[in-house]
Amino acid sequence: MLNTRELEKRWLKHKIKSYIPHVVITLSTITIILVIFAFINLDEGDKNLFLVDENKTQTVTQKQVQDETIAVETKPYVEIKQITKTAPEIEAIVTPAPLKSTLENNSSSSEKSLKLSPSLNFINKMQHSSLPYYNNEPITKKKTQTLKKAPQKEIVEEIQDLKVEETIHIPEEEVKRVTINRRNVADDIKHIIKRFKKNNNPALSLFVAKKYYELGDYHKAYNYALITNQINRDIEASWIVFSKSLVKLNEKEMAIKTLKEYISNSHSSTAQILLDEIISGKFK
Amino acid sequence: MSASIYINSKNVFLDTVSSKDYVQLDRVSTIYQSLKDSIKKPLKMILLYGKPGTGKSMFLTKLFHDLSSSQIVHLYKTPILDESEFYKTLAQDIFSTKYNGELNFTQFMKIVGNSEIGSIPVVLLDEAQLYSDILMEKIRLISDTRTIKFVITLHKTEKEDLIAKEHFQTRIWETIELENASSSELKIYIQKKLMKANCFDTANMFTGKSVNRIYKLTNGNYRDTNKLLYTLFDIYAAYEDNYQLSNIGTTQIPIKLIEMSAIHTGLINA
Repeated sequence: MLNTRELEKRWLKHKIKSYIPHVVITLSTITIILVIFAFINLDEGDKNLFLVDENKTQTVTQKQVQDETIAVETKPYVEIKQITKTAPEIEAIVTPAPLKSTLENNSSSSEKSLKLSPSLNFINKMQHSSLPYYNNEPITKKKTQTLKKAPQKEIVEEIQDLKVEETIHIPEEEVKRVTINRRNVADDIKHIIKRFKKNNNPALSLFVAKKYYELGDYHKAYNYALITNQINRDIEASWIVFSKSLVKLNEKEMAIKTLKEYISNSHSSTAQILLDEIISGKFK
Repeated sequence: MSASIYINSKNVFLDTVSSKDYVQLDRVSTIYQSLKDSIKKPLKMILLYGKPGTGKSMFLTKLFHDLSSSQIVHLYKTPILDESEFYKTLAQDIFSTKYNGELNFTQFMKIVGNSEIGSIPVVLLDEAQLYSDILMEKIRLISDTRTIKFVITLHKTEKEDLIAKEHFQTRIWETIELENASSSELKIYIQKKLMKANCFDTANMFTGKSVNRIYKLTNGNYRDTNKLLYTLFDIYAAYEDNYQLSNIGTTQIPIKLIEMSAIHTGLINA
């Protein structure tokens, strides 16, 4: 009679042997596929990083633009100040004797007299003044023009008037830029949310939270700060935005509680400052 | 299901060459009919060839069985390698001439010339590849006299194609090639064989899937199939003896059992 047990054992061995190549092929195929996927993901990751960088640069440029707008907003005052600063200088510069000599130098070059000597004070003051403004040239032109026409005080007044006119024109352009800029921010937020959903990067969600906070959408800012915090609890900015948003949403007590809890763990000075401001009512 | 059905089924596949075991398959029947028709023709020799286990011997046995009632037929299943012995055997069987001592070709041809047999006797030679070339040439010369008709079977080997030999090509012969069964033919073969022995239950156990596996293992070779199925039912009988039939199932032949049989018979090298 046949030994069926022995035969079964042999059959099992044979089966295992016959499956080995299939298993090897399957495993190698899976590993190849995984490697390919990993490479693809890496590439995408690089692209995302690149995009993040691009975004950062965008935000930087946005910040720059914003700064510019702020600068533009402040420019009138600044420039007026500068003008007020430059005006006395001009007054100082435009002393009758040396100016006349320069005028004589410029106008009657053929009639150069060797007796004239340059005013050292004038040169020194020119060096110290170091006006970095591109609109120096028109000023000097105006100077020369006005110098030819009118006495010193009138020149100063004219210059002031001219400068004011210029500064009035610039903000109008910049205001237009601000509106365009805001639209870009909204689009950017959407784009960044999309990307955040893909890669769950806390930097992106924090950015969104900050942007929403800036736009005054405190509820969304709160949510995204919370999401960021859930991904990474160590990001200080997420706690700050979260607390600020809470205050804005009339949840002052909760904001204080949150900040206290965070400060107890991190001893963050920024958070402490914010907490003090909230408690004292400076931050509303 | 009776207890002995697996043993009965096992015995069906015993490798025996008997005309009773001949299984009628469409293709085989056509070939067999053409062979029978060829014997009626005035051909000197008929060559039946094919790979081992394709049923040449069975064919020859069946032919002998069928023709023996109507004409003089002699079947030599094992080759007579000694030339003198060959002539002496033929002289005694066909011409009833008993010859003592050595009988050479010339003496045998004299006996053939003096014969007064009405019909041409048919000599069936199995395993003719074992005959020497000289003897084969002499068999050809005897067949040229048209006093004896030869039907010979040959193995078609890969090393040497015997049909290509000159002495096979120079005469007008009928050549019939036997081939392995196809998958569907194999199923019919197995089931018919079992049904002949009233093993209907086991015949129904062979599904297309199981026959395909058998076909893959045996390549449709009848001898290998017989061997495999003999072992298969032997395994069934062993399980039956150990009261383990429920473990393997009796509704259809499991692939596992077919492979186990193949391992045991050496068709699978495990």
